[in-house]
Amino acid sequence: MIMKKKVKNMQQSVSSNENMTVQQYSNLVRPGMSPGEIVKAVRSLNGVIFTSTGMRDAGQSDYKNRHRIYDLITLAPYYEKMNLFSAECHGGARWHVGIMNRKESPFEEIRLLRERMPNVLLQTLIRETNLWGYRPYPKNVIEYVVSLVDIDVWRCFSFLNDIRNMRAVAEVVMKRGRLFQPAISFTQADWTTNEYYLGLVKEIVALCGGVEEIILCIKDMAGVGSPARIRSLIDAIKQAYPELEVQYHRHATDGLAIPALLAAAQAGARILDIEEDSLTRFYGQAPMLSAQAFLEESGIKVILNREVAETACQKVREWIGFYEWAESPFKGFDHTVTLHKMPGGAFPSSFEQAEKGGFLHLMPDILKVMSLYNRIVKYFDVTPGSQITWVTCSGIVNKYAKEKGEAGVKHVINLLSKFVLEKNQDMNAMTPEEQEELLLLFRSAPGDFKNLLLGGYGRLPMGWPAAWVYKSAFGDAWQEKLKERKEESPLDSVPPDDMERLSLELNEHLGRPATEEEFVLYLMHPKDAVSMIQFREEYGDAPLVLPTNVWREGLKHPGSRVEFDLNGKPYCIELVSMGAEHEGIIHVVMKVNNKTRVYTVKTARAKKTEIRMAKGAHHIGAPINGNVWRIGNPQRGALKVGDIVHKGEEIANLEAMKMENAILAPYDAQIVGIAVKLNETVQEGQLLFELKALN
Amino acid sequence: MCHIRFFRGSFVEKKIKKILVANRGVPAVRIMHTCRDRKIPTVAVYSTPDRLSHHVFVANSAIHIGEAPPAESYLNMQKMIDAALKSGANAIHPGWGFLAENSTFAQMVQDAGLIWIGPPPNVIRMMGDKMEAKKIAIRANVPTIPGVNGIKGVEQVKKWMQEDRVTYPIIIKAALGGGGKGMVKVSSDDELEQAISRARSEALKSFGDENLLAEKYIERGRHIEVQVVADQHGHVVHLHERECTLQRRNQKIIEEAPSPSIEDDIRYEMCFTAVRLMREIGYHSAGTVEFLFDSSTKRFYFLEVNTRLQVEHGITELITGLDIVDIMIDVAEGKPLSFKQSDIRPNRWALEVRVNAEDPKTFSPSFGTITHLEVPQGPGVRIAQGVYEGADIPPYYDSLLMLIMTAGPERDDAINAMDRTLARNFRVDGVKTLAPLLLSIIRHESFRRGEFSTRFIETHMDELVSMFKDKDTEDEVLKIAKYVARISALGPQEWM
Repeated sequence: MIMKKKVKNMQQSVSSNENMTVQQYSNLVRPGMSPGEIVKAVRSLNGVIFTSTGMRDAGQSDYKNRHRIYDLITLAPYYEKMNLFSAECHGGARWHVGIMNRKESPFEEIRLLRERMPNVLLQTLIRETNLWGYRPYPKNVIEYVVSLVDIDVWRCFSFLNDIRNMRAVAEVVMKRGRLFQPAISFTQADWTTNEYYLGLVKEIVALCGGVEEIILCIKDMAGVGSPARIRSLIDAIKQAYPELEVQYHRHATDGLAIPALLAAAQAGARILDIEEDSLTRFYGQAPMLSAQAFLEESGIKVILNREVAETACQKVREWIGFYEWAESPFKGFDHTVTLHKMPGGAFPSSFEQAEKGGFLHLMPDILKVMSLYNRIVKYFDVTPGSQITWVTCSGIVNKYAKEKGEAGVKHVINLLSKFVLEKNQDMNAMTPEEQEELLLLFRSAPGDFKNLLLGGYGRLPMGWPAAWVYKSAFGDAWQEKLKERKEESPLDSVPPDDMERLSLELNEHLGRPATEEEFVLYLMHPKDAVSMIQFREEYGDAPLVLPTNVWREGLKHPGSRVEFDLNGKPYCIELVSMGAEHEGIIHVVMKVNNKTRVYTVKTARAKKTEIRMAKGAHHIGAPINGNVWRIGNPQRGALKVGDIVHKGEEIANLEAMKMENAILAPYDAQIVGIAVKLNETVQEGQLLFELKALN
Repeated sequence: MCHIRFFRGSFVEKKIKKILVANRGVPAVRIMHTCRDRKIPTVAVYSTPDRLSHHVFVANSAIHIGEAPPAESYLNMQKMIDAALKSGANAIHPGWGFLAENSTFAQMVQDAGLIWIGPPPNVIRMMGDKMEAKKIAIRANVPTIPGVNGIKGVEQVKKWMQEDRVTYPIIIKAALGGGGKGMVKVSSDDELEQAISRARSEALKSFGDENLLAEKYIERGRHIEVQVVADQHGHVVHLHERECTLQRRNQKIIEEAPSPSIEDDIRYEMCFTAVRLMREIGYHSAGTVEFLFDSSTKRFYFLEVNTRLQVEHGITELITGLDIVDIMIDVAEGKPLSFKQSDIRPNRWALEVRVNAEDPKTFSPSFGTITHLEVPQGPGVRIAQGVYEGADIPPYYDSLLMLIMTAGPERDDAINAMDRTLARNFRVDGVKTLAPLLLSIIRHESFRRGEFSTRFIETHMDELVSMFKDKDTEDEVLKIAKYVARISALGPQEWM
């Protein structure tokens, strides 16, 4: 039984593509073109052109970013010929999920895609100061990281629409001659008026030195813009800046994506975000073939090689079935998104968290609280704001549910509804008991929420929240805290990171010098990057070459096999037999290229003997595998905790294969811990002593 | 060769009928191969953890000889002799290491009426004592390194250095030592005390004797040794030299024959110095005279006589076409050598690497099960292996897994064959081996030019490690297979 259905390796999929009816399309825009040339090409269009989010946001919105490059790459040969503006294939949460779950590096994804679609602009989504991580990075980190990533189109947004924060990314991208695409976060609310947005566009144009080298993106990440609202906004922008090219990014959550796209195009947006129809579920972008048909019927020309696009949509069906497990348990469009404003990407992940945390039944209440909360603290629900909203609101609801049950949850919703909807957030209109309760509402809010209130992320779009919010979050200390609140951009307030120290820290984790790319991964997500690198050291290219069913479930039956190419040679792994579990061990017999091998797999029940390894200068590790046959030295005998040792003094001796290896004290120190016993067999690097230096 | 029953009246040929090989691993298997050629049945001995070892399978029969610690098994002389008597063997070959240079044991073997396949016990004793050996060498007019015997403490060493005008570095050695054990280099007064105590302790542990000597340490010295064979009839023939300069922690890891570092005149002088010394001491069987060659002054100094078959004897066999174990058996039976010095005409260049189970970066021993073994083959390759796929490497003994030897008409041919062997068709999984380091060394420009000293590896270690291949496709596939095994057994994981 061959799992051949999906076992086509990447080389094969490229060669099979060569048999396709080849039509020469020279893409309108290509890597290597200057930003100015790209903007001119777009401006010359009589019609609209698409950005496909099939390789990033489509997966993020409906499949928790689990789409593996192994499958996505099968689309590359079609993208090469589809005549897209760009392929959004990078950034957002795909980066983090890549290293945390898929065990793929965003750097290798770019390399693979470049190889297979060299004529397509690769696009990323980047947060202005959080980049692809979750904390505001200092300027030196931003400049270093952005300069190392080979991406053509940089869509950059701020969840606060604090344009000042974009300066560092914009400078590096524009200096590198890549296209900077500033995005304004869009939501539909009474305070997000055209005037508000025109003010932002003005700031952006000033930041980027005009409109000739940028494309403006309107980022409707929750999918809430009504067609009329979008038409009005884009029209206002085009009136004010006729030469500014506009791209509309919109999620489909409210069910109105396609008419909204038409409205955008009619108002003058020349680039629209879509995804393959067969990838479409509920929270991602609109289906490309439907969008094209509807736009053309409405008299708007669409630049798209329809025939190739149809094949791409078909291609998706070959593998999309492997990702059913990753889809949101909450299915279907949701027009109430216009109230709670949860963005497309956050939908599946918050429902997943609610399910894991056992509070899925509270989701309607949490969404309700979110819709009230976002009138109290005004910003945009997109990373990291959406996470702050989610953790804060789900925390409030869970707290009430735990303390007072269902009645408690109803009570807090009633309290907030009265305060926000009836009393127009007038504290004095509430009873003293209600006031007291509101003043405790944010007391156990997450640190990120408190950091947001103190200006850690930048300026809030409608100014700082009311004083009671500070009282509620910080208690009696609120006024002192208020003094710490920063008005400047984090670019100016976050102190630079010590890159050299961080790099040494990573080398220590890995036990070898890290590559520059590994260091960038580490800067974004330290813990997950280290575990991903270690995973890859152990399992090599498994995440890249294994078909998705094998990656997720392995080989199920004796005789099942998986075939792939590696470094230009064919390989085959076949399951011969699987033993029963015994004392936490399963023996798996496999044939690797017809040679039988036995693998020992430890299960969760395997006995764990944890060995402490030496880390850092105050830990003395074993230099070799061996036997501790002496602790101390012949002159002074055995050593114990508390003893003082001198630099160069022998403190232990290991024996291996009849050779003695003296362990010498590296400096004058006091022994604060001895981690091994006499005659214990130790492995290389294992902790022997903990020392405290004497000065 | 004709069958001589009586020779010079006093020697009676003793027919060897069955040989007990008092060793394990690579040396045991090596000796058994020649025994098989001669249709002499062999008896293996094994300690408890070696019950299923390679040498046990290769032998005709095998006897359990004790528990894991060498003192209870492979170093237990009485048990060894009892095993020979019990199994009906009438000769013992000690291989190398363990009891090979133990004169007491050699004497016990003879006293038990068994044939000792090796040099006379009194010669082993004489040469085993380094101070004694040096005295004899001086007497035989063989140049020696300045040194002092019977070290008691720091002051004595300092006094000798002053009197003989010796400067650091010096080396402290066990008087009975060998194989790098109990040898400590000292570069300054500060290190002296600790070095003496470490050498003493190692000497006691490895050789049961704590006598030490100190010598001038020759910085860029090269180890060159001359293989000698001699019979019981006074014939002494050298089989040319071997270069054994490449060492780590004083243990050789790459050897070659002939030596690339000496000219013919020195070669001639060195080989005949060795023959003169061996004749002087009444040597017979196979043995080696080790010299330290100072390439800056073109002088060589006597180091020691190895009164045994050596690990690296195979490359001499490759260049001469002889079988040294075969010669040892003949000599032990009382036969005269079947060749004269003028018959020895080496016409090959041969290279040997020692594939130890060690981490190639740290030299830390690597124990465990050999889960997979692919033995290299191809033109010009000779393998001496002590393990098989599936075998366990126990932590109690030395870490030699396999010797890989290659030969060719010229030095470059031998090196190219070794490169192919190490890089293309040699795989050991389950334990780490020195193979990556060995490959880096033979690819290093200085090695190719034949320019290196005993300190080559320590001084070039970082460069050599940086030459390790990062990724080998075979290894990468096995990592993938490991993942497939894990997921097949455990199913979808939380972290996915």
